[in-house]
Amino acid sequence: MLYRICHITEYLYNAPVSHCYNLAHIIPRTSHRQKCISTDISINPTAAFKSIRDDYFGNRAYHFEIQRSHKKLVLTATSKVETREQFYDAKLDAGTTCADAWQLLNYAKEAEFLFAREFLLESPMIKLQPALREYAEPLFTPEKPLLQAVMELTQLIFREFKYSPEATTIATPLEEVLEKKQGVCQDFAHLQIGCLRAMGIPAKYVSGYIETLPAPGEVKLVGSDATHAWVSAFCPGQGWVEFDPTNNCIAAEQHVLTAWGRDYYDVTPLKGVIFGGGESPILNVSVDVARI
Amino acid sequence: MVEFTYTPQPNIIDEAFAADGETKPHWQYLLDGLSALGADAFADRHNKAQRILRDDGATYNIYSEQNAPDHAWKLDLVPSLITSQEWGKIEAGLLERSELFNLFLKDIYGSRDLIRTGVIPPEALFLHRGFLRPCQGVNLPGDHQLLLHSVDLVRANDGSFCVLTDRTQSPSGAGYALENRTVMSRVLPSMFRDSHVHRLAQFFQKLRTKLTSLSANQDQPRVVVLTPGTHNEAYFEHAYLANYLGFHLVQSGDLIVRNGYVWMKSLDGLSRVDVILRRVDDSYCDPVELRGDSQLGVPNLLEVVRAGRVVIANPLGSGVLENPIFIKYLPAISQALLGRELRLPSVVTHWLGDDHDYHKVKHSFDDWVIKPIYRGELQKSVLVSQLSKAERASFLAKVQAKPEHFVAQPAVETTHLPSYCDGVIAPRPAIMRSFSVATEGSYTIMPGGLTRVGLSERSFVISNQAGAFSKDTWVIASEPERASSAKGGEQPTPMRDADLISLPSRVVENLFWMGRYAERAESLLRLLRTVFVLLNSEEPISEVCRRQLLLSVTEMTSMLPGFKDAPESLLNNPGDELIAAVADGNRMGSVRSTLNAMLYCSDESKELLSSDTLRVINDIRDALYALDEDLAGGLASAPEEALDPLVTALMALSGLSQESMLRGVGWRFMQIGRRLERTVQTAAIIESLIVPEVNEQDQSALIQALLQMLENLISYRRRYRARMGVQSSLDLVMLDTSNPRSLLFQLEELSKHLKELPKVPETRHELALEERAALQAEALIKLSLLKELSLREDGQRKILKNHLEQLTELMGAVSRYISDKYFDHKNSSQQLVRNTIGE
Repeated sequence: MLYRICHITEYLYNAPVSHCYNLAHIIPRTSHRQKCISTDISINPTAAFKSIRDDYFGNRAYHFEIQRSHKKLVLTATSKVETREQFYDAKLDAGTTCADAWQLLNYAKEAEFLFAREFLLESPMIKLQPALREYAEPLFTPEKPLLQAVMELTQLIFREFKYSPEATTIATPLEEVLEKKQGVCQDFAHLQIGCLRAMGIPAKYVSGYIETLPAPGEVKLVGSDATHAWVSAFCPGQGWVEFDPTNNCIAAEQHVLTAWGRDYYDVTPLKGVIFGGGESPILNVSVDVARI
Repeated sequence: MVEFTYTPQPNIIDEAFAADGETKPHWQYLLDGLSALGADAFADRHNKAQRILRDDGATYNIYSEQNAPDHAWKLDLVPSLITSQEWGKIEAGLLERSELFNLFLKDIYGSRDLIRTGVIPPEALFLHRGFLRPCQGVNLPGDHQLLLHSVDLVRANDGSFCVLTDRTQSPSGAGYALENRTVMSRVLPSMFRDSHVHRLAQFFQKLRTKLTSLSANQDQPRVVVLTPGTHNEAYFEHAYLANYLGFHLVQSGDLIVRNGYVWMKSLDGLSRVDVILRRVDDSYCDPVELRGDSQLGVPNLLEVVRAGRVVIANPLGSGVLENPIFIKYLPAISQALLGRELRLPSVVTHWLGDDHDYHKVKHSFDDWVIKPIYRGELQKSVLVSQLSKAERASFLAKVQAKPEHFVAQPAVETTHLPSYCDGVIAPRPAIMRSFSVATEGSYTIMPGGLTRVGLSERSFVISNQAGAFSKDTWVIASEPERASSAKGGEQPTPMRDADLISLPSRVVENLFWMGRYAERAESLLRLLRTVFVLLNSEEPISEVCRRQLLLSVTEMTSMLPGFKDAPESLLNNPGDELIAAVADGNRMGSVRSTLNAMLYCSDESKELLSSDTLRVINDIRDALYALDEDLAGGLASAPEEALDPLVTALMALSGLSQESMLRGVGWRFMQIGRRLERTVQTAAIIESLIVPEVNEQDQSALIQALLQMLENLISYRRRYRARMGVQSSLDLVMLDTSNPRSLLFQLEELSKHLKELPKVPETRHELALEERAALQAEALIKLSLLKELSLREDGQRKILKNHLEQLTELMGAVSRYISDKYFDHKNSSQQLVRNTIGE
């Protein structure tokens, strides 16, 4: 599928910001199932300096620096991306079993397995705790194919958790999400990653966009889409496979990814340091994913 | 060793004595010399050494505001001796280790082949907080990524050297080693000279050359030393090294990233920075990509590093090499990267994240030193057997919850070194820190290093925080010859060529305020001294005078309510409030709080102050420290005498700034601060004592107090030989430009200095704002008429009052204009996305 994605981030400050430095992860990366054809970025007020690089995880990192006083920052990224389905839909109930996966991850010497182990560890926003393991353990029986167990975990989270933007913020810790059984896509992704790592399965955080389709007979509104987050789990022998606990599915053509990392901390869409700006700035984000 | 009784410990190898009690040959000369010197003379030299260290401002600790002085750096005059033959072996081992760590660092932030090929388990690297993912792919020019490397080394009780830890973050101690050497060569000159000690200076030259060579801009590269600030435990060393190497000392707020480069904010604008020798831990260096909550970093610094437009030593991310898990795998790493094992062995290390190791340790925790893999405030090495039962349980619970975050090492028993403690020479365990710097093609190792000795015979942790002594380390030719060409002591020869014009504006601002606070403190002290004398004088002063004098203290210190509208009881018993005006550091405006502020400013501009000045500042610190005791007797016991040492020290400070400071921009700002403040203070005291209308006798007493305080009484008497007249005294304290304490004298000086400040060249002939205000002030005083000033109306000298108030306002304006124009007003920064979970 070919998409044009327009992602607008707007900050309104209460006091002038004299200058600022930002790091954005808003340029879609290339992966085995997608290709980013082009990205245009516009910044208002104009950036005095900008640069792009590939970061540690292979994501596109975009730096910019504004040196004039402003009370409003608008960052617009327009990208053209081509996506494909993943290969694994049909094979969930076959393939490597949980027991084999654990065995391979422990002893196999292949570089791919060794490097995947980075994603078994705690990360800045995902602290491992017994509750996570307790929650997921019943699903991960040794003889079950691993991907099937991961899909069942995806379904479990989808079933038991309520989507509720008011319930959490970026800073809400995992144990609270688990207790309240509410949150947004980031929380669900973090939760599933935490469960997978606690079960000894490497897992990444994936940030991106999802195309939402209007209900039959309705017209899709521009900007009604949102930034999205899901997970990628490592299955020895089958590679990295993406699951979306918010939508109870394997990530498909409608999932356009921007970046992956250990958790949200590594791939925050826009972060940085501002000088001035006063208290509690207002953040508006609008995303439009359109087929072309 | 006639005068010293020294008994080596049985079963522990002694560095100076063989098992049969014979002195080892390379110690003979030194020990003979110490014996010849004798215990008393040695104690004298020891005291002299401590005095020099103090005068140099050598400290290792935090300056705590209220009472305690800095913790002076402690030096034990008995050096550690190493023969050149033995040193040759150690040096080769250290060199090899630095080369290995360099290759290791390249691999960690490059292709990570050591993980790919299974040499180290992935978790050993990936779970360490010092592994900074944003530093992937950063490349320095030249052969080396690791520029500075330090190793803590002990000689184990079997006689072999063994590495305990590596320091790769921002290794500290080289400056202290240099300071130790300087002091040793001064207090034991002949012993030092005759021992043929390998010199340190070359190491620092290499360091300087290396840092300078890293600059992409070879035309006048600018190197700065980045310090976390004056509160840092090793701030002395930062300032000392910056000075010695001739680099600017900066704090994060002095630097800014703009248009892809790093700049230093200086008086004449922004100057480009090419190389940063950092003393800030890497994770704090850039709040955009590293710890977001850091206030010690420079936003976007890392992106400039990546572009190769600034070089940081040690490179960001190098702290990961301090991970002690790696010591376990070091033999294999060395095989993989160098093709051989290291000559210099490391302490046996078990990683508790490894099942096999964990099982080995878990039944015998008491035998081990347990060490967290990441060095931090709350994370220290623990010898489990030294814990109490409760501590042991809670500590082991922590270890068992996350064993992969700890390693276990045996407590290494080290050889003993003769050390001077509490008047005797006794055997003490020792540890030595070595210093390597990358140079063309290889590393240069400082000959010797910084040796520290434990406080007791069986100390297990030897660190400066625990109050250990340090020693100079002498690498010596095995048989010293007595009569050889005198090379003289090792004096640091500062290599400064840094341009003095572009000082960081923070430093200049601190000099300005240092001048102001010093002057303010001096005025207050003079006033209080005068008040104490008058209150205790034989001839009782009248009620009116008493009230007026006390009120003037409140007005000058702004310590309200004080004596303002005070009840009779307070006016009759003013002792406590007056003592508080001197000594209460918690009340703004007191002498102590003013001097604390001055000391803070002097710390911030330390690198510009001469060694004499630092000595005087130490005197002020001491006098402040002694103040409480000296004032304990209260008003009754001649408290004015307790103030004399402070007044004298402040006078010395002001004299020194006149006599021994370069007439640079910094000096000028300090003078501006002084003149401005003296104007304000003098105006305030005149207003306080002369404006209110009182009877003639009281008037005369108050004028006398004013003249006394301004040190004009004798001149006045010589000149007028008459009763105290208002007009003649105002003439002297306001208008007489031959009187260095008169208002007009200050104002003329102020204008002179303002004229000399750096200016934007293109301006027209219009005066700058601060010059206008100063000129207005000057005219106001110059044009005033004594007759009018002394006129009384409604119980006040209204015109005088009005003039003085205008003057004070104008001085405020000058100060404001100067700060707006020249000083940096750092806008406080915040994170766009508040992410408290730092890495």
